[in-house]
Amino acid sequence: MKRFQELLESPQNDLVEQAVADGRIPIGYSCSFVPEAFLMADKLFPVRLHAPGIAGTEIADIYLSNFICTYARSLLEFALDDRFDQIQGWVFVPSCNHMQRLIDNLEYLKKPAFSHVLDVPRKVTGATIAWQAEELRTLAEKLSAHFGVDMSDDSLSKAIAEWNSFAEVIRSIGDLRKRPVPLITGTEFHKLIMASLVSPKNLILPNILDFRKEVEKRDGIGVFRARLMLAGSHLHNPEFIRVIESQGGLVVADHFCTGSIPGFMPVATNGDPIRTLAEHSFKKTLCPRMMEDFDRRLKAIIDTVKEYQVDGVVIEIIKFCDLWGVDSMPLVDALRKEGIPVLKLEREYSLGGEGQLRTRVQAFIESMGK
Amino acid sequence: MKDTLATAKHFVERLPGLAKDFFHYSIIGYFFETKSFQDAFIYTKYWAFIWGNIFKLVIRLFFKKGPVAVVRFFMQYPWILRFLTATKLLRRLTKGRKGAYLESTALVIHAIAVLLVEKLEEVIYQPERLLINEDLVPPEIAMAMGLNVWLVEGMGILLPFLNSEACLGFIDEAENAGMNPDSCSFVKSAVGMVIKNQQPKGCAMVSSNMPCDAGMASYSYIEKQFDIPTYRVDVPYNFHNERAEKLFVEDLKGMIAFLEKHTPGRMDWEKLRDICEKRNYMMELELELWDMMRVSPAPLASEAIWLSHLFLFHWFPGNKFSIRLYERLVELAKKNLAAKIPAVENEKYRAVLWNPPFPQFPDIFNLVERAHGITLIMDSMSYNHHDLIDTSTPESMLGGLAKIIMDGPMVRHTRGPAENYLDDIFRCYKQFDLDMVWIANHVGCKGGQAMNGILREKCREMKIPLLVLDYDLLDPRIVSHEGMMKQVDDFMETVMKPRQPLPAL
Repeated sequence: MKRFQELLESPQNDLVEQAVADGRIPIGYSCSFVPEAFLMADKLFPVRLHAPGIAGTEIADIYLSNFICTYARSLLEFALDDRFDQIQGWVFVPSCNHMQRLIDNLEYLKKPAFSHVLDVPRKVTGATIAWQAEELRTLAEKLSAHFGVDMSDDSLSKAIAEWNSFAEVIRSIGDLRKRPVPLITGTEFHKLIMASLVSPKNLILPNILDFRKEVEKRDGIGVFRARLMLAGSHLHNPEFIRVIESQGGLVVADHFCTGSIPGFMPVATNGDPIRTLAEHSFKKTLCPRMMEDFDRRLKAIIDTVKEYQVDGVVIEIIKFCDLWGVDSMPLVDALRKEGIPVLKLEREYSLGGEGQLRTRVQAFIESMGK
Repeated sequence: MKDTLATAKHFVERLPGLAKDFFHYSIIGYFFETKSFQDAFIYTKYWAFIWGNIFKLVIRLFFKKGPVAVVRFFMQYPWILRFLTATKLLRRLTKGRKGAYLESTALVIHAIAVLLVEKLEEVIYQPERLLINEDLVPPEIAMAMGLNVWLVEGMGILLPFLNSEACLGFIDEAENAGMNPDSCSFVKSAVGMVIKNQQPKGCAMVSSNMPCDAGMASYSYIEKQFDIPTYRVDVPYNFHNERAEKLFVEDLKGMIAFLEKHTPGRMDWEKLRDICEKRNYMMELELELWDMMRVSPAPLASEAIWLSHLFLFHWFPGNKFSIRLYERLVELAKKNLAAKIPAVENEKYRAVLWNPPFPQFPDIFNLVERAHGITLIMDSMSYNHHDLIDTSTPESMLGGLAKIIMDGPMVRHTRGPAENYLDDIFRCYKQFDLDMVWIANHVGCKGGQAMNGILREKCREMKIPLLVLDYDLLDPRIVSHEGMMKQVDDFMETVMKPRQPLPAL
């Protein structure tokens, strides 16, 4: 577990450096609609952009203002501070207004040598899946032309197979949380997930396999008061979960962009790999930017509550995120109607207000009679 | 008892102030102020027209549905009572204006009164044909299908014109229901009206991914509350290409099929052609008006440009009254131009307003005209530059409408690269020979806020005076009117004030 923690201490960890030294090409991305498997073709490898330990966003605030989510501001601050200097290409999705303006400001202030905006539609139909496939095809051509990498169907199929086997390992560990007494805490699992998102998959896999062996020998994680599920927007810092768990609320399910449900579901391996990836990116991401997906999001949460025997749902929203801020209103109502206790928390990208967070979680667990 | 006495005493103490206020905003107050018989005639004419429209609505309702229906109607939509102060708005916005400029402002307010009555009558008498529309989904298609369109956000724009605090109750309602307080008050207001059950409920709803996250996401809630079938159109991020246009046209066809399935509306392509042709004509008239606006000093300004476009193009395109209004605006502008009469007597600075105007403080344009000679020439909501709709085939009409939607002001400014937003400002600045750019820096508009850094630097490079005016679209509690005026005054003093020569040593 210490190893995963180490990998999360820098935006470009030593495994990224090692891979770059081996001639591989890290591509940064910030949205789950970018299929990771796509960026694993040939010499490429995906790095989820994060800003660990960000202390302030003074320069980014000048451009993005104080009203933009702190994730977007933190990324801009780190980019301006050359903290992503190893990243050779950026793939963005205009997932929300904040990300769109991050792209605009980054292009203006520090234009990356390679950047591409994947225009992901906001609803799923036959036409939009075809559109998304075309978008990926265009990106493949650009990556191939710029980096000289092989983005052929064979190469992509190989990448998909590699990603699937990696995701299978992650899911097998995630499933350990379904047990009545889970073998892994939410904090540990999130460290593992985040480390895997910011590192080359092949290089981190041995660490994950070792960790799985270690976890499987455990009897359980000890005493806890309630089983919780976290849902919401980007959550990078495992410390947020640690604070929740310090109050006895064990996080057994992670239903957010950088979580495993449903983010690590396998990609279908039959048919055109690009088309399959296009379909996959819609299936595995449950974001309020998808304007017709409210019922699917709700059902997925309710199903997960049942599957993981969750006592209560914590919805975490980064301050100023309108997508989650507005969507959570009907979501909280609908979950409560189903008899599921819900706690809605607003937070910043980096962990702050720890005492307040503790109190809210304590009160929530007590309100459930646990 | 003690409280009642205190309240009564407070009311009595306020009476002189209320009476003075009433007198000031009444037509008698206007007669005391104006020095021109001709202006008094224009003002009285439109004052009477506006009241006439209000009475028309009530009397028709009374005779068609009976007194109980009248009471029930006003109880269901209590905000309608705000329209009893429409002539106060007329008084506020026409203050100090004369001749054709006075008439242009009065004409726009009158047009809103007429068309709003038309709209409310549709709500009352044809509820089965009422389609709930998001404000940026143009209504032409629904109109051609014989449906009546109600904009969910429409009252959020109009009510604060009449009273700056008109939407506060709705905003608070949405926040209390769990909506994030930092989201756009325009969206909160629409949601609050839905929660309070003060929005008409149609037979179906059409929304979109425009213009912002909050607006888009709010429709999940509205859909649940209304419990009606909903279709959402999706404008691509990169829309300046044929591929995007094709995708979007398919989306519009999906919308038509949806409406045919879920509403009594049926597509009538001839009717759509007629509406599009009339809309084209409106646009030609508007372009003619713009040409005249390029002249300095401008023959008309302010509401004649921004309020007319905001209301008529978004809600009543192709309507005969909308056309008549634009024809008259062109006539008035021509009249002033021929006689070399400027709209604003002391026009010193020509300004463009970027981002939506100030619904809760529309008086600001009138005030700065009189205080600083600042003339509002253009605004981002009006500043379109798309082609006329090709009405030769159904496909070409849908293509034209698709382009209008995708290239609509708040749509093209909130997607695609930053140039979509920035270049438009500079193009407008040049086209209308402007002296300053105003950014309506609505606190809830995150996309707009995040462009200010780049804009500031670009304006500095190009030596364009830039005022970033902080405010909230519908909520004067965020920045007061005095606070907004102070920002203008400070800007004029520190940026625009001509430099005084240094005294000789």
